[in-house]
Amino acid sequence: MMKWLVVFFSLFLMSFNAFAQALVEPESIEFGKKDAPRVLRIHSSIDLASFGPLIKGFVKRYPSIRVSYTDINTSELYKQTIKESAHPQASLVISSAMGLQIKLVNDGYAQTYHSYETDHLPSYAQWRHQVFAFSLEPVVMLVNKDHYPGPLPKDRQDVLQTIRQYSDFMKGRIGTYDIRQSGVGYLLASQDARQADTTWGRLIEAFGSHQVKTYCCTHEIIDDVASGKLVLGYNLLGSYAAQRVKEDTRLKMILPKDYALMVMRVGLIPKKAPNADDAGLFLDYLLTDSVQRRMQAETLMFPIQPNVMTKNTLNILGKSGPQRVVELDQQLLVGRDYAKQRRFIKSWEEALEIPH
Amino acid sequence: MWQKFLRRQKPNKGELVSESTPSLRRRFIIGGIIIISVIAALAINFVFEYSQRLADISYDRLLRSALLQMDENIGLMHNEVTIDIPWSAFATLAQANDDRVFYKVVSSSQGFITGYRDLNITPPKPPQLDKIQFFDREYSGEMVRFAWLERHLTESESTGTVRIIIGQTRLSREELSSSVTERAVEVVVMIALVAVALIVLGSQLVLRPLHRISRVLEERQPGDLTPINIKTPKETYHLKMVINHFMARLQTNLEQLENYTADAAHQLRTPLASLRALAENARDKTSPERQQEALENIVTQCDSLSQTVTLLLNQAVVSHRMQTNPKEPVDLLVPVTASCREQAITALHKGVSLSLEADVERAMVFGDAFALQQMMQNLIENAVRYSNLGAEQATEVVVRVEEFSNYYRVSVIDYGAGIPEEEKKRVFERFYRGRYDTAGSGVGLAMVKDIIDHHTANITILDTQPKGTTFQIDIAKYQSSNDSGSLL
Repeated sequence: MMKWLVVFFSLFLMSFNAFAQALVEPESIEFGKKDAPRVLRIHSSIDLASFGPLIKGFVKRYPSIRVSYTDINTSELYKQTIKESAHPQASLVISSAMGLQIKLVNDGYAQTYHSYETDHLPSYAQWRHQVFAFSLEPVVMLVNKDHYPGPLPKDRQDVLQTIRQYSDFMKGRIGTYDIRQSGVGYLLASQDARQADTTWGRLIEAFGSHQVKTYCCTHEIIDDVASGKLVLGYNLLGSYAAQRVKEDTRLKMILPKDYALMVMRVGLIPKKAPNADDAGLFLDYLLTDSVQRRMQAETLMFPIQPNVMTKNTLNILGKSGPQRVVELDQQLLVGRDYAKQRRFIKSWEEALEIPH
Repeated sequence: MWQKFLRRQKPNKGELVSESTPSLRRRFIIGGIIIISVIAALAINFVFEYSQRLADISYDRLLRSALLQMDENIGLMHNEVTIDIPWSAFATLAQANDDRVFYKVVSSSQGFITGYRDLNITPPKPPQLDKIQFFDREYSGEMVRFAWLERHLTESESTGTVRIIIGQTRLSREELSSSVTERAVEVVVMIALVAVALIVLGSQLVLRPLHRISRVLEERQPGDLTPINIKTPKETYHLKMVINHFMARLQTNLEQLENYTADAAHQLRTPLASLRALAENARDKTSPERQQEALENIVTQCDSLSQTVTLLLNQAVVSHRMQTNPKEPVDLLVPVTASCREQAITALHKGVSLSLEADVERAMVFGDAFALQQMMQNLIENAVRYSNLGAEQATEVVVRVEEFSNYYRVSVIDYGAGIPEEEKKRVFERFYRGRYDTAGSGVGLAMVKDIIDHHTANITILDTQPKGTTFQIDIAKYQSSNDSGSLL
């Protein structure tokens, strides 16, 4: 009986995956003039809402380049990049799943790029001159002020407290990434486990006993928090949350006081990529001061360049506790270790009481 | 003649330099540069290898540490060998900033556990359990440094071995080694340049005293042969001494020559004056018989003069030969016999019979045949001449050659008037003439003495019994290295 249930469930998951893939893959959006001689294909995990204005700025500055933008989930993006490695479609691959991007570089799928902008990046924001960060993302919690029971949480301990106190109410009202589907979700979970193993254990246990909902993508979590289906979204990318908080007064973004993870959005140019020159040009464009400033001014993303991080940025981040920047280096490979990954996902599934 | 030679030296200087081997200074500098370059090249080569080793040693430590951290985290879970790679293991490897990392963990019972499935390499040396091996292999398109370890599983429920392979590309190693090499090469090149500069400078300094000496000599008046009297370093003392010694010898020679020339002129003036007196006398004579007689006198005088000139010339030749020709082994009998033969007729004319008594076949001495012949000639002439003097005409001159244990004795024996005891010491003086009533220049015996000295021989003047003089010469045997034993 149990076995049948497992089979059924996995079949369901598989079909869901296939469905999601079919939905995402063909969607490519064009920017710039139709007759522009050069085409820059970007495969990215970033929502168009954040990236669109910047790409528009790019094609305006370089009218001879047309940008073809495809939004792909981080895990799919990784698999596709490897699958296409002999004849890549994408000139540029952008993702916030740093671990997967690092793995692509380590396994030799990326090419080297040098420019004034990339050479002046801080060492934690690039690796081997093959993968480059262009935005820094605080990892936040998002709450619905109207529905959250009790005082708003300042850190993870507060969240645990609330869950204990309002145990019945919180059931099914917490959302977070499905680490099996989302590369960035896995990255955040594994970094949480690395930073504070005990807290992470308690948190995941509490999530499991309160029927936490798992999602593939940030904006779905935010939608559900906004609608009141959820009261808490855990581990969301700060820039998405900040954008919605600006428009929706019911929402509040919280940078955990115990520690805040900072991840980066990173881009790489695949080996043998078509039009690699324009891919480099686009990276340089993202790293120029004016674009970095614009990212923060329009709350699209948080800039990576330290000189652009002004008081304004700090205001958005608020007065927070320690920040743990996940750096771009070989350590990220540990998170992608085959045995570790298997064990981590297994224990995550067990904790969340998800059958596998 | 000497002055002429001195004067010629200056214009010839350029020629001399161009003919000679490369300058001392240039040889010194070139030799120095070659040696320094070789040393520098060796040093750089050494540094190159050393820096490679150094880089490997330091980065192998990281690799070893990462491997040990991984090894520590191998364990059993549900009876299955597994590994929980610690973050710190890769934090260690991240110290090599830009180096890619590859690894694989395999167990003998389960096969692949984690890492890169296609990382199938074996170490170069036969694998040994519990021993970490390091080696370079190409993987994923790059040269990779691997650490390799296989060990027994120690958990009680498990058997077999587990193998960990971890590798790291060589970027940081190359960077470290090239930065070390670069620095070292800079230092080595700098030292080499300094050394070359010192050599150039040093050669200038070292050779300066020589230049000073040559300048002092150059600036001298042609006839100035006084010793060099400038202060120069100790090392040039010997050179200075040799030059001074040479100049002193030159000075002596010059003085001798001057004396000789003056004496010769003086010597020639007397017979010339007497010749003139005879000629005047002949002119004034009225009777043909008297005139005839006077002319006879002139002829005799001319013969005597001619003999003197010949003697002077011979002496000049002999002294020149003695200065220039090296001595060589000669058979003493050859010059002795030759001079006897030459003098025999002249002696007979004077009513003297010349005989040679030699009881040896060969008499090898070390010397100059021409000089020895001149010496014999003079002695025989002298003996013949003295045989004619005195109240009674002596009729015999004997030349005798005898062999002694390590010398030959040549005696020239006459039975003439003999030499008074007090004159014996002076006969060898130049232009000393015991008697003026006979032909002779007074040069002959002086030359004999020179030749004797040149051959480091001994000459003794003895009285012949019952009367007359014996010149006795002892001259060392020539001892060639081959037959010295037989002669002694």
